[in-house]
Amino acid sequence: TPRNATPSIPTRSLPARKPGNVLEEARARLHVSSVPESLPCREQEFQDIYSFVESKIIDGTGGCMYISGVPGTGKTATVHEVIRCLQHSSDQDEIPAFRFIEINGMKMTDPHQAYVQILQKLTDQKATADHAASLLEKRFSNPAPKRETTVLLVDELDLLWTRKQNVMYNLFDWPTRRHARLVVLAIANTMDLPERIMINRVASRLGLTRMSFQPYSFKQLQQIITSRLNRVKAFEEDALQLVSRKVAALSGDARRCLDICRRATEICEHSSSQPSDTGLVGMGHVMEALEEMFSSSYITAIRCASLQEQLFLRAVIAEFRRLGLEEATFQQVFVQHQTLCRVEGLQPIGVSEGLAVCQRLGTCRLLLLEPSRLDVLLRVRLNVSQDDVLYALKED
Amino acid sequence: MSVLLQHPGYAEERLRSVTERLPCREAQACTMLALMGEPEQYSYPSIFIYGHRAAGKSYVTQTLLKELELPHIVVSCVECVSAGLLFEQVLMAFFGSSSSASLPRSPSFSDFVRLYRQLCTQLPANQTRYIVLDKAELLRDMDANFLPGFLRLQELVDDNVTVIFLSEIVWDKFRPNTGCFEPLLLHFPNYSKVELQEILAQDCHPSYSPELYSSYINILLGVFYSVCRDLRELRHLAALNFVKFCEPLENGEAKEKDTHKLWRNIEPHLKRAMQTVYLREVSSVQWEQQQTEERETADMRVLSAHDHVELPYYSKFLLIAAYLASYNPARTDRRFFLKHHGKIKKTNFLKKHEKTSNHLLGPKPFPLDRLLAIFYSVVDSRVAPTASVFSQISSLVTLQLLSQVSHDDQLDAPKYKCTVSLDFIRAISRTVGFDIVRYLYDFL
Repeated sequence: TPRNATPSIPTRSLPARKPGNVLEEARARLHVSSVPESLPCREQEFQDIYSFVESKIIDGTGGCMYISGVPGTGKTATVHEVIRCLQHSSDQDEIPAFRFIEINGMKMTDPHQAYVQILQKLTDQKATADHAASLLEKRFSNPAPKRETTVLLVDELDLLWTRKQNVMYNLFDWPTRRHARLVVLAIANTMDLPERIMINRVASRLGLTRMSFQPYSFKQLQQIITSRLNRVKAFEEDALQLVSRKVAALSGDARRCLDICRRATEICEHSSSQPSDTGLVGMGHVMEALEEMFSSSYITAIRCASLQEQLFLRAVIAEFRRLGLEEATFQQVFVQHQTLCRVEGLQPIGVSEGLAVCQRLGTCRLLLLEPSRLDVLLRVRLNVSQDDVLYALKED
Repeated sequence: MSVLLQHPGYAEERLRSVTERLPCREAQACTMLALMGEPEQYSYPSIFIYGHRAAGKSYVTQTLLKELELPHIVVSCVECVSAGLLFEQVLMAFFGSSSSASLPRSPSFSDFVRLYRQLCTQLPANQTRYIVLDKAELLRDMDANFLPGFLRLQELVDDNVTVIFLSEIVWDKFRPNTGCFEPLLLHFPNYSKVELQEILAQDCHPSYSPELYSSYINILLGVFYSVCRDLRELRHLAALNFVKFCEPLENGEAKEKDTHKLWRNIEPHLKRAMQTVYLREVSSVQWEQQQTEERETADMRVLSAHDHVELPYYSKFLLIAAYLASYNPARTDRRFFLKHHGKIKKTNFLKKHEKTSNHLLGPKPFPLDRLLAIFYSVVDSRVAPTASVFSQISSLVTLQLLSQVSHDDQLDAPKYKCTVSLDFIRAISRTVGFDIVRYLYDFL
């Protein structure tokens, strides 16, 4: 193989199938990875970021911007769209040319790898972390007349945290150099990240240009889905409204919303008798998908547990009530368990079996347990609320 | 008598020799044979065998595997200080000595599984392979994925392999919190008295009749069975004391028939052996020498009587002061160590509700200041607090006569505990002419 071979994945033997019916078409459009050309409901944020970066590029200065928001609110997609637009206008010679580099804290094994990746993307050089840091330092502090502006997108900023915070410090210190011409866009989830984890000199260099992405409201989510579907008629209006209202009430995560819609199309496809004639996705299908993706399985797990396991859970609650605490040793619970066995007219089980029952409940995380080598002294806590357990056990 | 083991998969004379070598363990061997099945059949993925020390766990397993010539490897988990050693032994036993060369330096479980799969495609098993992990309780202290990994090794490597765990601890204490594949549990019960008699009577002396040896074992078990059921220990004691038992026969004082005479001769000797050689106060070699030299056994200086230590003068007083500080409550110090302590009500001094003696509860920690205060009070002459006094305190700590508690502060206010016994401190205070019992709160 050649020394500098480009990494590639093997190609498919058959090309991917074109969507056959309306539902498949809808599914392809609703996929999270198919980012649309323009993001609906993020026009204001787009405008702010665009003008910030554009002004820095035109002035030939540097700066930082901190972007925050809960997952699935379109932070990375908006920034990418801004960069795409800027690239387009620089191709048209409306603004000076610039370079765009992207690093992601999650994709690095170590925060110091950030230097290596930036250097590699800037100059195609490979170096160790320390060497790369010094090379970058030299590059950004020395004047170079023909240098174009660099836009650096740092995703998942909170993972670049180190004890001395030197990676973060350097990332925000380079833009302040006179000759650096570096624009840093930092993305993280929490709004108060600079105040919480950064030491003062890092937070002050990050500056006050902040932007926070609010979670989508149900109207915005509905608009996103309709714009995605783009007149493909696959959903009933009410069904869409239900999805967006449910998701907006919980998290306002657009990715979650799209996933539920896709799952609903699958359920619809399964429920129809013939694959050719598929109706619209109705309320029932959406309800089913929501149930699947939102409901917690603890209550079902308790209902499906064996008799002794259910008895053990009862014994745990009885012991908690007796002690007035939310914690008991296995020994104490087991005494209650044996009493319950007698009351129910069952053969009382041995300590070994009791431990096995307890540990099985522990492995499905219905209980929180200490290591098993503590034997009868291991402490038992409930991982679900007592009301849930009682509700699950009551219905029969 | 013993039932002959039977299994269609193995030759009959092999099974007969196995039966002869496994007295009193026919039921267990039978179960194991049934579990193992014929050599080329798949066995259960993991078998967990537990029972007391010397219940024949590893002996039965190893005899079965060795006599039936099945591919197996016995690994003691005590020896495997790193996981690499364990993997290396397993791979070498199944795939030849060069197989473990491609293991990386500190292999993970997945490295082992990958290499095992690779090798077993070249060398597929035509008989069940057995991995016996002795002292399996140590597996719990290794990486968290080891025990679950070995439990379902058959599934992971896709080979006809069975892992046998041997342990003295019950399975309940093994189960990881994240769950695992449950092994088949097999219990080896203790040998009963009759079984012990039968097993011990097998290794009889060639120059005496088996009946004589059997009666000797009977006497031995009569003395020792109440304190010890460990086959290995009993066998060791039987071998040690048999010479003494035979003495009257050698001298011609008794015949083999005179069981009462022999019993009268050996019984006090065995009782003495329980106090000395069984507790390892006297080593086995010393015991044998004694018997040949006809010395009185009791006058030997035993190991625990050696607790007399030569100490410097002030060290002795320091140790006495430390003992007093550890076992006396601090509020009684005024009464014991101040010359003019004023009036102290007796009712106040002796609290009635303190029923348990401080000697039962063990030593209590005390600060350095209190130790020095008591020390100056019990030493009659004036002692300057020189460096040597303080270095004696720290050397008492290194001699483990004192122990330092709470290591958070080494220089300011260190706390100590006195770790010597009452007999020891009495012997020490006798040498300096100090009556320690008068100063102990417990003995008032």
